[in-house]
Amino acid sequence: MKKKNIDGSILTLWIMIAVVLIAMAILKPGTFYKMTNLRSMIFQFPEYGIMALGMMLAMISGGIDLSLVGIANLSGIVAAKIMIGMGGEPVSIAIGIMAALAVGAVCGCFNGFMIGYLKVPAMLVTLCGLQLYTGIGLGITTGPALTGLPDSYKYFANGSIGQIPVVLFIFIAVVAVIYFIMNFTVYGQQVRFMGSNDEAARYSGINNLKVTIMTYMISGILGSISGVLITSHFNSAKADYGSSYTLLTLLIVVLGGIHPDGGRGNVGGVVLSILLLQLVAQAFNILQIDPTGNMKTFVYGALLIIVLCANVLKGKKKKAKK
Amino acid sequence: MKNKSIKDVLTSTEMINVYIIVALSMVIGSINSNFLSVATVITLSRAIMVTMIFALGEMLVIVSGGIDVSFPAVACAALFVPIKLMVDNGINNVWFAFGLAIIIGLVFGALNATLTAVVKLPPLIATLGVSSLINGGMLAFFGSKEISNLPKAVDAISQKFLFTYTAPTGATYSLTVLFLIPVILCIGVALMLKYTMLGRGIYAIGGDQNAARIAGFNVVRIKYFVYMFAGAITGLGAMCYCILCRTANPKNLMGSEMMVIAAIVVGGTRISGGHGKVIGTVLGVVLVGLIQNNLIMAGVPAYWQKFVVGLVIVLGTSITSLKAKKIAQSAKV
Repeated sequence: MKKKNIDGSILTLWIMIAVVLIAMAILKPGTFYKMTNLRSMIFQFPEYGIMALGMMLAMISGGIDLSLVGIANLSGIVAAKIMIGMGGEPVSIAIGIMAALAVGAVCGCFNGFMIGYLKVPAMLVTLCGLQLYTGIGLGITTGPALTGLPDSYKYFANGSIGQIPVVLFIFIAVVAVIYFIMNFTVYGQQVRFMGSNDEAARYSGINNLKVTIMTYMISGILGSISGVLITSHFNSAKADYGSSYTLLTLLIVVLGGIHPDGGRGNVGGVVLSILLLQLVAQAFNILQIDPTGNMKTFVYGALLIIVLCANVLKGKKKKAKK
Repeated sequence: MKNKSIKDVLTSTEMINVYIIVALSMVIGSINSNFLSVATVITLSRAIMVTMIFALGEMLVIVSGGIDVSFPAVACAALFVPIKLMVDNGINNVWFAFGLAIIIGLVFGALNATLTAVVKLPPLIATLGVSSLINGGMLAFFGSKEISNLPKAVDAISQKFLFTYTAPTGATYSLTVLFLIPVILCIGVALMLKYTMLGRGIYAIGGDQNAARIAGFNVVRIKYFVYMFAGAITGLGAMCYCILCRTANPKNLMGSEMMVIAAIVVGGTRISGGHGKVIGTVLGVVLVGLIQNNLIMAGVPAYWQKFVVGLVIVLGTSITSLKAKKIAQSAKV
């Protein structure tokens, strides 16, 4: 029963992707089906795609992580500060990236501790986490963007091997690791179990505190990877880059079949939904219906509500059938 | 519960807020002697009055067990759309401005209530979606240009004052007549929460929805009331903000939700619902307003303020939840 449900949402995603592809083939075949367009799409989605995987983990565990954008910017700023301070040597880039990941892990641990130990609702913790981390970032940069990053740092988000952008490899690697964690480790099973019923999980001997901290730590690390990509993409670090990503990642995760109450969902659905939203965004760009980006905000909000309502109605129908 | 011990009163969340406010005022006052004056009180009252109105609505929503992060977007729509229509069509009527602002608030409140009470979506995600829907839609369909020439009748309100205070230096500080709105709303909401069946119902469904239903409360109707009332006073507050600023900006209020939720949580309202008092919220708003507006007088640079506000919420929530944990672990009679 459960297996069929997941397949259903993945099928819907495939159909929606096909609809967008066919629509674009009719409307603008010349510009849409081109190598340059494909490449420009691949350069864009890993940034928020990796963030969405973090959101997915938090949501499967029964929580939510709204602080991802804050973590991403803070770790980007820390990395930038270190690289600029050390004079942009290759070693400094490595240290900067390690520091960024460490920042992500620490921020995530803090979230996990507040949620798991103090029992503050995840939504509130991560919402004020967003404020806190953005605030620290703002304090470090004092407002304007940090520029003057080493040239070779740009390579991560803007370089390519042959025709294939480097970010695609990073994205695939991250997806593979998360897929492995969710499907082949004890932790992956525990986090699902805790998400569907934390009380039962506790009674069956799962250390909920440990699993919660783990979850938000991984989510924080994913946020900081995305932060490294964002700073590399813009070639600068700032406290308020990517502020629209919070809503976007939520939409991706819900569209990808992750249940907001926790427990259910898989990596495949989320990856498909990342691809779908990138296709939609690119279609908007090419059709030039949205020069300011406000229409996109409107459509994302509407989509989020419609998909959620549809899921609820589908669930009700199934119950009625039984 | 009438004979609370003095110790309980002195360690209540409200009193802790009072201590912090007094201590903070003394610290700022000792660093900058300009702080302790009537002028500061008037400026602060003016600065926090809109937050106060938003916080009242949001507090009701949180007490009822929900959350509403769409109110900044509702507020932007409620101040921009009426002013835009009035300027474009040459309407010059105060009642039209306030009326339409409240109606816009009511409509989106009803949408939030439908999504959370009838379709039963998680309130945070539903209102986040509504927020993006309203904000994107308004900017795309009504334009994003600030309107600085408000209709004359509306603009005239900004020059009506309750009283004017002249400082020894010669500068004058006036308290706007709009300050009466949050005062009346606070008293009204406090009385409603305490003495009406509806008010008790809001606490009941926030505490345990099923128990409230079995006890005979109409959960769906109460939720509709809460979200629509919150929407209406958000509209009202938004129009006040517009008049105070003397321009209609479609984006300025976006992002103010953290401030408001911070104030409510610091004021002792439990984010999981069922607990919260108007007096606590008022103190929370004053405290957060003090931090936001006056830290700069104590020499804290403006770019650290976001962090300080975040820190205040973290401390506020930790104290509240540690208290709740202690109560849960204490012996039950």
